[in-house]
Amino acid sequence: MKTSDIKEIFKENFWGFFTVFILAIFGILNQWIVAETSSIFWKNLFWHLAGLIGLIFLAIFMDYRKIPFHLVWYFYWFLIFILFILLFFKKRWLNIGFISFQPSEFIKPTLILLISLIASKEPNPYLKLKTLAKLFLITFFPLILILPTDLDYAFIMFIMFASFLIFIGIPRRLTLSLIFLGLIIGLLLFPIFWKNLKPHQKGRIYGYLYPEKYAQTWGYQLNQSLIAIGSGGLWGHGFKRGWSTRLHYLPAKYTDLAFAVWAETWGFIGVSLFLVLYGYLLYFFIKISNTAKDWLGKYLSLGVALVLFWQALFNISGCAGLFPMTSIPLPFLSYGGSITISVYFLLSLVFNIALKRYFFK
Amino acid sequence: MKRFKEDGFLIREFFKTQQKILKGIFWEKRLFWAKFLIGFSFVVLWLRFFYLQVVKYPYYFKKAKERSVVNYVIKAPRGEIVTSDGVVVATNRAVFQLYLDPELIKNKEDEVLYKLSKILGEDFGSLKERYYLAKKTFLGRVLIKRNLNWDEVAKIMVRRYYLPGVKIEVESERFYPYGEAYFHLLGYISKITLEEYKILKEKGYSMEDYIGRMGIERAFEERLKGKNGVIEIERDAYGRLGKEINRILPVPGEDLVITVNHNLQMKAYELLKDKKGAIVALSPKDGSILAMVSSPSIDPQKFIDGFTQEEWERVNSSPEKPFLNRALQAYPPGSTYKIITAIAALKSGIVSSINNTVFCPGYFRMGSRIFRCWEAKGHGSVNFIKAIAYSCDVYFYTLASKLDVDYLAEVSKEWGLGKTTGLGWSEEKEGLIPNRAWKEKTFKEPWYQGETVVMGIGQGYLLVTPLQMARVYMAIANGGYLYKPYVVKRIRTLDGKIIEIDPQIEKKLTLDQQHWNWIKEGLLEVVKIGTGRAAFIPGLNVAGKTGTAQVVSLAFKKIKALEHHAWFVSYAGYSDPEIVSAILVEHGGHGGSAAAPLARELYKSFFGIKEPEKIISETKEETLSDENQ
Repeated sequence: MKTSDIKEIFKENFWGFFTVFILAIFGILNQWIVAETSSIFWKNLFWHLAGLIGLIFLAIFMDYRKIPFHLVWYFYWFLIFILFILLFFKKRWLNIGFISFQPSEFIKPTLILLISLIASKEPNPYLKLKTLAKLFLITFFPLILILPTDLDYAFIMFIMFASFLIFIGIPRRLTLSLIFLGLIIGLLLFPIFWKNLKPHQKGRIYGYLYPEKYAQTWGYQLNQSLIAIGSGGLWGHGFKRGWSTRLHYLPAKYTDLAFAVWAETWGFIGVSLFLVLYGYLLYFFIKISNTAKDWLGKYLSLGVALVLFWQALFNISGCAGLFPMTSIPLPFLSYGGSITISVYFLLSLVFNIALKRYFFK
Repeated sequence: MKRFKEDGFLIREFFKTQQKILKGIFWEKRLFWAKFLIGFSFVVLWLRFFYLQVVKYPYYFKKAKERSVVNYVIKAPRGEIVTSDGVVVATNRAVFQLYLDPELIKNKEDEVLYKLSKILGEDFGSLKERYYLAKKTFLGRVLIKRNLNWDEVAKIMVRRYYLPGVKIEVESERFYPYGEAYFHLLGYISKITLEEYKILKEKGYSMEDYIGRMGIERAFEERLKGKNGVIEIERDAYGRLGKEINRILPVPGEDLVITVNHNLQMKAYELLKDKKGAIVALSPKDGSILAMVSSPSIDPQKFIDGFTQEEWERVNSSPEKPFLNRALQAYPPGSTYKIITAIAALKSGIVSSINNTVFCPGYFRMGSRIFRCWEAKGHGSVNFIKAIAYSCDVYFYTLASKLDVDYLAEVSKEWGLGKTTGLGWSEEKEGLIPNRAWKEKTFKEPWYQGETVVMGIGQGYLLVTPLQMARVYMAIANGGYLYKPYVVKRIRTLDGKIIEIDPQIEKKLTLDQQHWNWIKEGLLEVVKIGTGRAAFIPGLNVAGKTGTAQVVSLAFKKIKALEHHAWFVSYAGYSDPEIVSAILVEHGGHGGSAAAPLARELYKSFFGIKEPEKIISETKEETLSDENQ
């Protein structure tokens, strides 16, 4: 390999890496604002540093084409594992020693890999019905399993993978009729569904619809989030000076409302910067999807882009009151071991694809 | 076969390639839509944040501040009030207030309250009850006890390590050293009401503020108030207070120097004690108020220290109405009004010479009606001077019967009756000067000349305030200068500037020089030989007019509560008059016996004259026979 080639590779992928690096710094900074120097900050710092090192290591030395073949077994073991958790713990979190472990987070990379693997075998622009049925089964079986414990996550994952499958190629007629059917079934089942919602889940809907009316109860989170974001103004309160964060008005400021902390501290300028960087990263992934040398690579990078996109969209618009608030963490800014590992793994997949573009055999 | 196979292979290969190409093209299209979806969503998010953080920023910032910042008001000390002779009559004193911070004594409230109850010597139960009651209404710290004495302060300070959350703070509080004597003049202050707060919020008032209620405190509220300071302290979601983020120091109110003579004021209050009535003293040189006293009175300090339930009921529902400033209330003027009748008669030429006499047989007949003189025997033949001196009713009936009521009312108004004096206090009454139009409007009846006759001696519908009456005599004393009465002569502003307030003349009244002389001579004769002899002081020129205002008909005269109001309006000085006073004793009896002796004491105090007791008792006996009508 010539040095000019290496230069070329560096030039084409540098900004993608750099954006990840900056976003990781944002994440560390945000937890510094919230957690000062408590254990949460150090843990978060550890996950980000480990993630970055893992990202570089995996991006260079891994070969994404060789992972999926072993994955089917992993997937089945994983399903058994989740069933075990659901049956014996009935929790969405699993505590193993000092790490709390969120199985839902690990379903995402698994499913992306599986879907991409199966779909990449298909030579046609639209998936065959047989393949489609297989993919549906693989995707929605685990989602139905996590539904009782993690309703909103299951719902968002459904949107993530449904959109992924549509982009991979469900025939247009089938897509439309499925959406139509889904709507009708949804409307018919809504009353039953609503009756069976837990009070806190209903409360989230109420809080979303009337944040000021339920300011002390269901709308408390959203109301405080809106105050935090709005009071940030154009330039923000400045580092560690936001009232909502410092005076403990923001609940879940480490995780779900991490973006409200960001918006309060750095204002509209900081929000714009984050959105631009995050958007650039997604754009970068789609560019890789366009230029990847095989279909597995193309599908994988689009899948990662879509997962990260929906995840950010639901979290941020939940903070800003556009969607009902969900307990979806925001990549980079939210604290959490599982999410950070999962996100860095997804990133390393894409960067691996990006690098493998040049070493394709 | 082979060819077919090869063809079939070729066709399959062709389709495969076609599909591959199609798949590539479709993928690019789909990626475009993926980009579109992401870009569109991010632009929507971005616009939402623009709306929240830029458009709605003021709204959310206000909400965030209301939620996270507590404002403590530092009350501005009110301005001081100093008399012209340098006595401070309204000031502020530092008091020790005992506060408890509920956050710091969580879970050990009982323990701390029990210790405090021992130190303060109070009942534990009632202290606890008070604490929990106050905790509901106060934000943050709770006021447990106000105005601690030194002993209590020392006891608490010594034990402060065993008393967490206990804070002693020094605050400024209004203090009136002379209490009741200055109540109606200075007014009082009390807590702002909710309705007032809503209106005055923009002017910088806080819920805890006091506001002037009467007298100078109300009239000069804006000057005295000052500007409250504020401490902004952060409060977290659990209600704990954090660091101070801003402190604006209070700006004290402006000091006032008033025209009042302290000794005279105290003397006046002493004279009226246990009586109902009012004393107003003016300076004829500029219309400044030298003393203004009304009795019964209330100690204004009580409005700050707090009344007991019993005291408050007594003050609030007393039939004696201690809240009224009687110097500004309207009363029938009685004979003191005769001077206006005299002036009107002189002006209209009814009395052309001092030697014009009227024979007084003890009554005055007009048609079929008979009007009596207070002296049933009659005064015999009286001229202008004598009529004033002896307050002969028949003489003034005669003058009034020749006067038109509208003209009399006009002269009265010219001399400042029937309207406010320009003092500018809202508690001041206008009084009442009747005329034809007024009667027509009120009673739908025409005016009868008999009513003019009654009005000529100051009875009937007439109502005047002691201050108005003092002003009439002031204008006589200084030769026609009708000043606006004023009480604040100097304002010391915060930047050290002094604003002098100059006396203002409402108008200059004109009379012939000889008419002035006749009136002044008449008034001098009142004190020398006439009805006001009780006010006589040797060596001093005291001139005045007594008055006895009928409250009810003669049949009920013996009942004390319905006795006549006693008036004595006079001025005194060595060569030029230096003081004018109007004295009113409600239901006091005769002006000559109930009011005139007070004037004598007042002038003695003002001019610093010491007299043997003997002479006083002699004059008292002489005055026992007095006017009555």
